[in-house]
Amino acid sequence: MISRGEQVLNYAILTVFAVIALYPILGMLLTALGPPGESTGFGIPSSLHFENFRDAWNQGHFSTYLRSSTIVAVSVVVASTFLSILSGYAFGTMRFRGSTVLFYVFIAGLMIPLEALVIPLYFKLRDVNLTDTYWALILPQVALSVAFGTFWMRAFFLATPRSLLEAARIDGASSWTTLWRVLVPFGRPAILTMMVLVFMWTWNEFLLALVMVASEDLRTAPLGLAFFQGQHSSQLSLLAAGSVIVATPVVLLYIFLQRHFIAGMLSGAVKG
Amino acid sequence: MYLSRSRSMKLVLAIAAVFALAMLAGCGEDKTSTSGGAGTSGGGGVNTDAASLGDVTLTVWDQEVRGGQNSAMVELNKQFHEKFPNITIKRVAKSFTDLQTTLKLAASGPNPPDVVEANNGYAAMGPLVKANLLLDLSDYSDAYGWADRYSTGILKMNQFSADAATFGSGNLYGVPMTGEVVGVYYNKDILSKLGLDVPATWEDFVAAVEKAKGAGETAVQFGNLDKWPGIHEFETIQLQNVDKDYARNFIFGDGTPSFEDEGNTAAATTLADWASKGYFTDGFAGLGYDPSWQDFGKGKGLFLITGSWLTSDLGKALGDKVGFFLVPPPEGGSLASLGGEGLPWAISSKTANADAAAAYVNFITSDEAMQVVTDNGNLSASKAPVTVPAGLDTEVYEAWKKANDEDAIVPYLDWATPTMYDTSTAEIQKLMGGQTSPADFVSAIQADYAKFHSGAR
Amino acid sequence: MRSSTPAHAEPGVVAEPAPAELLLGRALRSAKVSRRDPPGEPRHVGYLYILPAFAIYALFVLAPLGFAVWYSLHTWDGLLPMEWVGLDNYKEIFRSGPLRQAFGHSLVLIVFYAVLPVTLGLIMVAALSRARIRGQAAFRTVLFLPQVIPLVVVAVVWRMIYAPNNGSLNDFLGKVGLGSLERAWLGDFNLALYAVGFIGTWVATGLALVLFMSGVQRIPQSLYDAARVDGAGPVREFFAVTLPNLRGEIAVALTLTTIAALRNFDLVYITTQGGPGNQTSVPAFEVYNKAFQQGQIGLAAAIGITLAAMILVITFGITRISERGRA
Repeated sequence: MISRGEQVLNYAILTVFAVIALYPILGMLLTALGPPGESTGFGIPSSLHFENFRDAWNQGHFSTYLRSSTIVAVSVVVASTFLSILSGYAFGTMRFRGSTVLFYVFIAGLMIPLEALVIPLYFKLRDVNLTDTYWALILPQVALSVAFGTFWMRAFFLATPRSLLEAARIDGASSWTTLWRVLVPFGRPAILTMMVLVFMWTWNEFLLALVMVASEDLRTAPLGLAFFQGQHSSQLSLLAAGSVIVATPVVLLYIFLQRHFIAGMLSGAVKG
Repeated sequence: MYLSRSRSMKLVLAIAAVFALAMLAGCGEDKTSTSGGAGTSGGGGVNTDAASLGDVTLTVWDQEVRGGQNSAMVELNKQFHEKFPNITIKRVAKSFTDLQTTLKLAASGPNPPDVVEANNGYAAMGPLVKANLLLDLSDYSDAYGWADRYSTGILKMNQFSADAATFGSGNLYGVPMTGEVVGVYYNKDILSKLGLDVPATWEDFVAAVEKAKGAGETAVQFGNLDKWPGIHEFETIQLQNVDKDYARNFIFGDGTPSFEDEGNTAAATTLADWASKGYFTDGFAGLGYDPSWQDFGKGKGLFLITGSWLTSDLGKALGDKVGFFLVPPPEGGSLASLGGEGLPWAISSKTANADAAAAYVNFITSDEAMQVVTDNGNLSASKAPVTVPAGLDTEVYEAWKKANDEDAIVPYLDWATPTMYDTSTAEIQKLMGGQTSPADFVSAIQADYAKFHSGAR
Repeated sequence: MRSSTPAHAEPGVVAEPAPAELLLGRALRSAKVSRRDPPGEPRHVGYLYILPAFAIYALFVLAPLGFAVWYSLHTWDGLLPMEWVGLDNYKEIFRSGPLRQAFGHSLVLIVFYAVLPVTLGLIMVAALSRARIRGQAAFRTVLFLPQVIPLVVVAVVWRMIYAPNNGSLNDFLGKVGLGSLERAWLGDFNLALYAVGFIGTWVATGLALVLFMSGVQRIPQSLYDAARVDGAGPVREFFAVTLPNLRGEIAVALTLTTIAALRNFDLVYITTQGGPGNQTSVPAFEVYNKAFQQGQIGLAAAIGITLAAMILVITFGITRISERGRA
């Protein structure tokens, strides 16, 4: 039993930190709703101007950018999930020579920062004319996500009861069927967690887009916002509205699936 | 729990494997130039009949994002499409800084924009010419008569030798649209409140600044978070301390004079002095360029040292309360003004639509276009006669004309070397923040300059 | 009960994946397990399963890594042929004042992104009672939110907060009578780096707190009871029971936040571009700047590789230190 005093203290501490975490975000929302040209200070706006969002949307071409971001993020999530399930399955349930070394090689990818890779990626992809295409954004991010995903799915598969695998084998199921019919249904929470994490990291990626993408049609949302900021750095309500537009998809996903986001981070995810 | 022997062996093995694999991939690299073919105007003649070109889409990158600049661009693009419905313009507008950071990557990529605004000199144009990424516009210039549109001083700013070793002569690579001059916008109310007249000499100007500060006004409205505005403040002061031909030669690399000149040191000392005495906006180091001129537009600040591109916006904000004058020379000195042209239009050497691109460039720099540019509060770069709206626009135009007539224009410092933008903006920030001495500032600029011109990388 | 894997797994029993386990420690432990491992005879089909993932990984991560090392041993402007220079680029990193500064800044930022949030989180957790409180999930959601928002958005918002004239920080200081503390935060030569660093603290503290809160709730009450019986006050309790048992979470938090500290290109690009002067230059920004603006690709690649090496060393260091405490 905890005392009343302890309870109050708990709430107080948590509230203080929650306010600090929320303040910039709420401030941004308030600025986005405020009249154009009003100073910030994140005060309650004198009047509500929802048309700021419409203006930002049109002037900032955010529909294009959101579409790009969605295409890239969904592609990366689908591809890396599929590949990670396969490789995690192998590492987690099968024995083969060199598997340990190979696994370590995958793990190394968790610590290699994109900054070390972006230069050669750019020049090599340019040589094969793939820069300024969605592939330039999707393929490297799949590769990096697969490092995390392999580690993640392997952990899951290692934990599945051996009895399940044995039973499947006795029934004559192939490894493929065992994987998709028997194991994956169990793995939905783990797989979902991996998917939301990969989605978040891909959606938020900026440097890769800055380097790979020159044409406006392919700009992802963070890149679009960066340039929007350059053009409108003093039109604060417009800029805030644009920021809200860019952050909303991933924040919405987070609010609905926050259990998975947090569980993922808690379980020792390294990337990001 | 320490790694057991065999575990650490496995780890070492894994790391070695990664490394070996990686090195294997990297070895044997023999990177050759990825530049496209010759940067000339394509074999065969030039086609100036744009209507005959069939359906073409041109990708255009510009940084005409502010008020008057943007409205001029929108209007010109509209008119162009009306005249040539077969050519569609895909406009990509970015801030100056964002254009700087992304232009080289885009120009050297597989699908470069057809038409770009490339900053003059070695800031952007030089390196692009050296890499054969810009089209030599000589043939189109002959066909359209571009050389006749501009004064020699302006043309010089767009010329490079084919190997980019010489700036200021050679082939034409850029065609300017707007003219620019950096001067002083002033708040008429505050000026008269202080009992001052428009300064006629540099000494008068300095006195006015001091008086304003003493009266509690923001003497010089200024925001340097974006880094490049500092160039205007420094060079404005510099030009009152050095000979303008020396300043030009430095930037064009004519004879590569050294930056270690007592005039430069004196200018740096003055700038640092002004900053420490609080003549500039409070907290200017953390204030963005746009917020700062917008504050001026709300009546904060006596003077604003910046370029003519703000005419439209400031005219709207302050109406007849704002005026403009060129920075006056010291007593007995000759007029020297920072400026020249807005970013010129260049054509990618890899474009598949050179004729269409040239037709576009021709259109937006034509005499008629110059009137559109002027109507929107910008200066025209060419010699074409224009009717200037009354008020602030006329004041700025008269100043521009005067600067040209008296051959006073000196271009921007960051044109001097490919790294000068980074070096000078950082050093000016340090100078104004009291983090470096004027002598060290001058040395740092000279070091950058000497390194480039000695051929070292 | 704490469900972490004891160091010596029983033979034949597969390790349960433990929440908040140290990444590497886990990988190593499970690698050990694999010796007796997945049952049945060796399955060569395993190679087939890992092939697609490995192919993409090798093509788009390993190969570029190799090329990066290759580039770093040359001078190259991206256009003319490369020139071999051996380790000169790496020497340049140590020799060049500005580059040393950039790496120095990254160490400062590690303090702000990693050390400070973890410390704050620990202090918080020490103050909090370990019992579940109502609405805890809601708090967690809110506290974790900064981690989810794109860094570009975070940077845009904080740039607004730090604005000298209308920014909410200066506004707030003025209102509470601390007007003398108002500054041009992102332009101040002494404070700009800390201003940028504090953004990192804001982003990371929620992560540390959530990690530690969940970790603390897993510590068995019996340990605390035992300590109390021994006469330990709250402070000793913290150091004797809480801290050692949070080792794994601390290691994870430190690892994640350190990597974030070194990968902060987004923040610097949006807020200061490395200024004022070079006060907020960081290796991540220099990689982009040197490679794609100034055409010094070899040097930029060397900076990138050095960054990767730093991450590797620091991660290993954290692993070692956290493992050392285990019985």
